[in-house]
Amino acid sequence: MASWPEHPRLIGTRIPRVDGMAKASGRAKYPSDVRPEGMLFGVMLYSPHAHAKITSIDTTAAEKMPGVKAVEVIAKAGATLRYQGDDIAAVAAETEEQARDAIAAIKVVYEVLPHVVTEAASMADGAPKIVNTGNVRKGRAITKGNVNDAFKKADATIEGTYSAPVITHVCLETHGLTAKWDDKDHITAYASTQAVGPTAAELAGTFNIPFTNVTVLTEVMGGGFGSKFGADLWGRTAAQLAQKAGAPVKMFLDRVQEHLAAGNRPSASGTVKMGATKDGRLVAMEAHTHGTGGVRGGAGFPLPYVYDVPAASRTHDDVMVNCGGARAMRAPGHPQGCILMEAAMDDLAEKLGMDPIDFRIKNLAPNDFHTPIYLGELAIGAEAIGWKENRKPRGQGGKGPIKKGFGVALHQWGGGGTQDKQVTCIINPDGSVELKSGTQDIGTGARTILAVIAAEILGLEVGQIKSNIGNSTFPTGQPSGGSTTSPSMAPPCYSAVTAARDALFAKVAPALGVQPADLDVKGGKVLVKGEPKLTWAEACRKLGTMPISELGKFQPGLASGGVGGCQFAEVEVDVETGVVRVKKIVAVQDSGLILDLLTWESQVYGGVIGGLNYGLFEERIMDPTTGVMLNADMEMYKLAGASDIPEIIVKAYDPPEQKARGVIGVGEPPTISTAAAIGNAVSNAIGVRVPVWPMSPRNVLNALAAAATEGKA
Amino acid sequence: MTMKAFEYASPSTLDLALKALAAPSSEALSGGTDLLCRMKDDVAAPERLVYLKDVKDLAGVKGSAAEGVTIGAGTLLASVVASEAVKASYPALWQTTLEVGTPQIRNMATVGGNLLQRPRCWYFRNGFGLLAMQEGKSLVRLGDNRYHSIFMTDGDALFTSPSSLAVPLIALGATATIVGPNGERTLPVEDLYRAPRTDKQRELTIEPGEILTKVTIPPAKGKNASYEIRAKQSHDWPIVLASVNLTLEGETVSAAKIMLYGVAPIPWRSAAAEQALIGKKLSVETAEDAGKAAVKNAQPLSMNQFKVSLTTTAVKRALLTAGGMKYWEA
Repeated sequence: MASWPEHPRLIGTRIPRVDGMAKASGRAKYPSDVRPEGMLFGVMLYSPHAHAKITSIDTTAAEKMPGVKAVEVIAKAGATLRYQGDDIAAVAAETEEQARDAIAAIKVVYEVLPHVVTEAASMADGAPKIVNTGNVRKGRAITKGNVNDAFKKADATIEGTYSAPVITHVCLETHGLTAKWDDKDHITAYASTQAVGPTAAELAGTFNIPFTNVTVLTEVMGGGFGSKFGADLWGRTAAQLAQKAGAPVKMFLDRVQEHLAAGNRPSASGTVKMGATKDGRLVAMEAHTHGTGGVRGGAGFPLPYVYDVPAASRTHDDVMVNCGGARAMRAPGHPQGCILMEAAMDDLAEKLGMDPIDFRIKNLAPNDFHTPIYLGELAIGAEAIGWKENRKPRGQGGKGPIKKGFGVALHQWGGGGTQDKQVTCIINPDGSVELKSGTQDIGTGARTILAVIAAEILGLEVGQIKSNIGNSTFPTGQPSGGSTTSPSMAPPCYSAVTAARDALFAKVAPALGVQPADLDVKGGKVLVKGEPKLTWAEACRKLGTMPISELGKFQPGLASGGVGGCQFAEVEVDVETGVVRVKKIVAVQDSGLILDLLTWESQVYGGVIGGLNYGLFEERIMDPTTGVMLNADMEMYKLAGASDIPEIIVKAYDPPEQKARGVIGVGEPPTISTAAAIGNAVSNAIGVRVPVWPMSPRNVLNALAAAATEGKA
Repeated sequence: MTMKAFEYASPSTLDLALKALAAPSSEALSGGTDLLCRMKDDVAAPERLVYLKDVKDLAGVKGSAAEGVTIGAGTLLASVVASEAVKASYPALWQTTLEVGTPQIRNMATVGGNLLQRPRCWYFRNGFGLLAMQEGKSLVRLGDNRYHSIFMTDGDALFTSPSSLAVPLIALGATATIVGPNGERTLPVEDLYRAPRTDKQRELTIEPGEILTKVTIPPAKGKNASYEIRAKQSHDWPIVLASVNLTLEGETVSAAKIMLYGVAPIPWRSAAAEQALIGKKLSVETAEDAGKAAVKNAQPLSMNQFKVSLTTTAVKRALLTAGGMKYWEA
């Protein structure tokens, strides 16, 4: 078993990301910034209709337009388009304007078919059947214990209906790539992807050329969140257009199609009935849920979630609608499950008259490894938000119209790595050190943490390590998804660097007349039995002309998986306007051994901000009549700006036993429970449950009005 | 997504601008924060753009609290915010201008452009027409109308008037000056707007070929204020905004003008709220009564009932802001 240094010099400290200055200054070239010589602009034509059949398509006029070099038809006559944004054709031209003009000149005759774009319409009696197998696909039913009997033991029972809308990824850099044929069977693609290897494989498969003939480059990229795992149809089309035109083609989606076709997080709704004994022990849950992931399904989510529910029964319907398909989005399913579970937990705690934290603690599974973690984290979080001093019982948020409230929610995630990834470490005779791996940095700091590991082991500074990733021809690296990158890449990096260091020792030891085991590195020096003898550069010079190159693979003992985490929200809700202002979020997160505290915190901030958007603002709004998305922009699709961001307190939960677990990913967990905690804080503030996310003025005022009608408020 | 090709004229005098605008299918371009977006979204496709920012006479804030203020149509919103005269005399206008868009937008957008921008209705912006009628049915009524009107909803124009500056300007009794081929005319700012009855009508009364040159605000008497309700703190549109202009005799409100944004296809004057207040002393209670009176005849659509409460609150808080009684900040 390998192990990380017991008293690290760099690991776990705050180290600025190695490409931070380049990104902040605009010097970093994103894939969509790259413009190879002779590059053409590609533009996609996509369906204006939610459901239609192509009667005919004529590209003759488009092909004759000025500047047009290639046209590709994707959906031929007879093809069915299943959502607004579904791909039809593409054009490559010398300028983007020419390409757009040519797209407009493609003559398509549509037979418009009946559509459904809302779940209600899809599930309604007599709804047009949009999928051969039916509009509703039954999800896996869960039955645990005898729910009816168990409910008889309940002293308090709540039944609530909760829902969260479809949201989209809104990657700042839209999906796409620039494809360049180096010769008749070699492609270089500058891709905005979170998986250079799979993207290369997809292109290789499309053109029936060897994997190694494709080079996918992703030096940096502008966000993926789970939606950028391949070349995609538009990326493959770019390569086809480039082949036809004999020139590189850049194809990045416009913002509208990015919303429509590049993935989304499915909605989630359901009724949750849950009961507990008067001492606060859950006895049973019954839930009927549904959600939509568009035309392909995929709207499942975990429920029950986090807590130990002795008896549970759940049904789930995956509802098909004529909307772009869901893609993985930062902790797929978990934010939805967290909202439904944690809202019900809070409502039941309220009914029992229990403190929400006490109620949660009572229902953590006794033998689950998460439980002691949650206990530690809840204590830290409650302290940081001032739960005891500040939180009042539900509905006592203050006398004036602006009510203060506090909420909490728990989450969990796997976040373990794979064991088949590789890193090469090269030590050059001039003393420079280079790492190579075919992983990429989706924004988490992957490039930096590899350099941190190498600098730690080699006794160098982080800036002395060249960390080369984002190239599919490098040793196989991990796709950036599922919070798996760090735990997959840290062990082979450790192995590669350790092996390279040992190889250097083996070369240098004879020259010094000592045994390799006598050597060590520290502070840029090579030590013999603890005494500095050579500088790093002097030692490396003894390599002669050829560098050391060592390929590192997985070793056990360095990485793990499985995290908890909790978040607290403090909000102010104006009950006369429905406006919710989040004042503070406290995020307490475990993730084993933290490699770089600064990039780690940055991921937690990013997760919280994403969760805040989900909690307050985001919603894909579809028009039932025309089937189009009404807010496929960044104006009416609302996202927080700087002044909407509250104070965010990030606390790492990393006692020694956590550090001992090794590296665990943190990309996903910190975004899961933010929206649920905000919703609970809103209910605590105003005294009524707002059952519909996001916590918009409309949803808040509607909940208050409904409660007033029922005489509750 | 496809901007059509167009001619571009950049005149340096008003006369040249009028000549350039005389060509058919011409549109005046100023800050471009609305028009260029409509062109990119293929909602507008003028054959000629006449850029007005080189007509230097159109920009600038002149006057004083005592004699009233004239704001050139080409004045940047940022310049309005920077104007001490506006800030001191017309807080209703100053506050509303400050809350438009972002610093970047306020540094490009102009007062004229704000007044003459087209509705933000998402059916209009998605190319379904100003009234968004399809086969005789209103897409707005059938669809998502959370941001649409709650007054005048028995008509077909269900969008809301998009100019937030129109609301305080009308409350302050401002006039607009328009020049055209037939000379100059001056009209109350409210007369710039109408509720169109057909898809061929625009919601603006200004004719093709005319240029809005300035707005003139009479000297401020009494107290004025605005209150805006929006979901986000950063870049967002108001959901509802109220501007009030009160004349006080002692502590009694002797005259009131109460204007609303976000509730009707025109800037909406709430005579009911005004009547509820006139002759009374301004207090939390009378402001609340005025707010309730404002929505007495509201006819919300299927999804915008919440705007009724917002209207009550906006009127109440605008009044109490004018009266220096911000109870919600206590």
